[in-house]
Amino acid sequence: MGKRLFQIFGPLILAAALVLGIFLLPGHLIGYTANKKAQEQAAVSLSPSVLKGAGLKTAALDDGYVPFFGSSEWSRFDPMHPSVMAKKYHRSYQPFLLGSRGTQSLTQFYVMQNIQPQLKNQKAVFVISPQWFVKKGVDKAAFSAYYSQLQTTEWLNQYSNTKMDRYAAQRLMQMPSAKSDHIVYAALERVAKGQQMTPNQKRYLGLRQNFLKSEDNFFSGINLPNGNLKKVDQQEKKLPAQYSFSKINQLATDLGKKETDNNRFQISNSFYNHGLKQEVKHLKGFQENLSYLQSPEYSDFELCLDQFARLHTNVLFIIPPVNQKWADYTGLSQSMLKQFDQKIRYQLQSQGFNNIVDLSDKGDVPYFMTDTIHLGWKGWLAVDQRVDPFLTKKQKTPTYHINDDFYSNQWQQTTTVTN
Amino acid sequence: MLSFTPYENPTYFVILGIALIPLVIGLLYGKRSHLYETLVSLAFLLLTFGGPKWSTQGVALVVYIIFEMLLTWGYSVYRKRGQNKGYIFYFAVILAILPLTIVKVTPAVDGGNNSLIGFLGISYLTFRAVQTIMEIRDGTIKNFSLKIFIPFMLFFPTISSGPIDRYRRFEGDFTTVPDQDKYLKMLGKGLHYIFLGFLYKFLLAYFFGTILMPKLAHTAMIHRGGFLDLSWSVLGYMYCYSADLFFDFAGYSLFAVGISYFMGIETPMNFNRPWQSKNIKDFWNRWHITLSFWFRDFIFMRLVFWFMKHKTFKKPTTTSNVVYFINMGIMGFWHGVTWFYITYGLFHAAALIINDAWLRYKKKHQDSIPHNKFTEYFAIFFTANVVCFSFLIFSGFLNTLWFTK
Repeated sequence: MGKRLFQIFGPLILAAALVLGIFLLPGHLIGYTANKKAQEQAAVSLSPSVLKGAGLKTAALDDGYVPFFGSSEWSRFDPMHPSVMAKKYHRSYQPFLLGSRGTQSLTQFYVMQNIQPQLKNQKAVFVISPQWFVKKGVDKAAFSAYYSQLQTTEWLNQYSNTKMDRYAAQRLMQMPSAKSDHIVYAALERVAKGQQMTPNQKRYLGLRQNFLKSEDNFFSGINLPNGNLKKVDQQEKKLPAQYSFSKINQLATDLGKKETDNNRFQISNSFYNHGLKQEVKHLKGFQENLSYLQSPEYSDFELCLDQFARLHTNVLFIIPPVNQKWADYTGLSQSMLKQFDQKIRYQLQSQGFNNIVDLSDKGDVPYFMTDTIHLGWKGWLAVDQRVDPFLTKKQKTPTYHINDDFYSNQWQQTTTVTN
Repeated sequence: MLSFTPYENPTYFVILGIALIPLVIGLLYGKRSHLYETLVSLAFLLLTFGGPKWSTQGVALVVYIIFEMLLTWGYSVYRKRGQNKGYIFYFAVILAILPLTIVKVTPAVDGGNNSLIGFLGISYLTFRAVQTIMEIRDGTIKNFSLKIFIPFMLFFPTISSGPIDRYRRFEGDFTTVPDQDKYLKMLGKGLHYIFLGFLYKFLLAYFFGTILMPKLAHTAMIHRGGFLDLSWSVLGYMYCYSADLFFDFAGYSLFAVGISYFMGIETPMNFNRPWQSKNIKDFWNRWHITLSFWFRDFIFMRLVFWFMKHKTFKKPTTTSNVVYFINMGIMGFWHGVTWFYITYGLFHAAALIINDAWLRYKKKHQDSIPHNKFTEYFAIFFTANVVCFSFLIFSGFLNTLWFTK
């Protein structure tokens, strides 16, 4: 009987022992071997696995890449895109694009959790999309798609009992992904209430972090999509060999004109053909009642500000406009957009975040936007005009004074601010 | 409190594996401890229906089980007295399926809200209960005992989605211990099934369902506007959905059967290479076997006998065609009260009728219709595509494609 049992269960036991052995080895023993090519790919891949992981990001950020936080705009690669400009003109910084369609402040807060050393006393760029600030805040399914257990455990392993951590725990508990691990969920319940985690929870989180880190080291470099890097290389060729603002500006106008000639909104032809054309007649006036003024997103965004302040990160914030022609057609209220701008600026400036590229009034500049809400040609160039000096020249050290009131429901619901 | 959907993640399997060790050792030495089995079952039922799910599902399960228990036991007492009135039997069956009917109809009449008395696996428990009542009426179950019936209903490896076992078959396994040689073979097979299930469910179904399918759905939605909003992506979606459906469900069934084997219960298999079916009838002998056999034994055959006894139709083919429609219509309805599930059922009824007619025609004209390797492969290819098309209907994706903005 023993022999037959061994024949049946032997392979299972051996496999289990091997897997456990590998994952329980301390993370640094396996180590992450960063190669330059993988970093270059990862920096523009916009892949959820890069965003959720740790090894690739930290290695690249240690290597001169600068975190560019944002969302879907990063996928609009044209010659003026920050990654293309930085590569073409061999800037001393290279953007590491963090975020993709559906990532919002809450995701970005957790993304910051495993690159804290890389953010400390460093610089970063952050694009704030007005579209995040809808009534319900971040979409639960979108949050799940970018949810990283590794980031959650790393955060819990270093949390301190502050408003920021309590609020982050509360918000995470509202997301279905938090329930994917019941011990983590139980730990979150305690953190949200301002209690210490139990020793067992701490032990578990330590083991879990180790396990996830090994997993990340093994797998994060595998199968990186390289489509975006190809796009960067293609777009780069269109730029003049020597940097010249007037030439690039002219190129932006020319490209914009050529690529938006099949519709009346100055939306890029391919975007327009890709699903918008058929729907456009149903969309007239559909944004009439939309408001970006009341949203839990304001407090989620405060998490990012709070985290930046704690790490003394000097951040350049970019507020993009909405394509004016599109806004007019769909009935999106200009006065509401203006109020949004005031509100978000108040939240930034009153806490000492004064590096703001406010493009919110540029929605009617031709070829500023590549589609309805995303920056393109001229818009990207305007961004470059501010990003380049910010990252290459010495900046004054900012002083932040975080105000916990921005975590309140009252702030989330405020519609008017007086500066 | 811990809470799982059965077989959802590695943690579940680790806990299950540890819980089964004493049971496996016992069976190896020829001992079956019903006490330990009950404890393990209770623990896993609590993991599935307790904790956060207690108020939404757990209570419903307990009430449901008590209800079916009283009903079945009551009917068995009635039959033991030697009585056998038809209307009592019908009444018992109607009562037994009443909770399931309410659960299935509620979302259709109540704006998509789920019924309060529903819980994961109510369909499969109803199949087991109805089958028991029917066999009590037939007299094939003579010594009905709650000591068998309750473990049979609540057998946790198969509680959420089958396979649908039969009372008498279960009783035979449950009251005996397989000899050591046989049990060792069962362990080997069970472990093999579980690992094949990992491949099916966690690799293949994940690839088709989680990675590929959303992309195809997205491109199909973008390319709407043509004839019936169709595009190549819809075709891709059809095959991808079919692959996902098969690997997900077959993977789950392999887990359920594998774990049953560890517990010394030979739960019947649910799939037998369905993609090699030569015709649609063959397909239903290979796909979700325990369900289609249940429908065959307890709906199809019984209706056919009833119609023949009452001489409702002149020709036997008319009888079977009508019964196909009733049988598959009920199956469609059972999946849920939506146009696409019911259409799916009726589509299969039509396919079965056409298939029967073709086979009769073929038999008559044996000399003129060629039969060779090529026609066999063509039949397999054709059947698989008909099935995939039916799954496209079943998926509800056409509903999304046509009726959402």
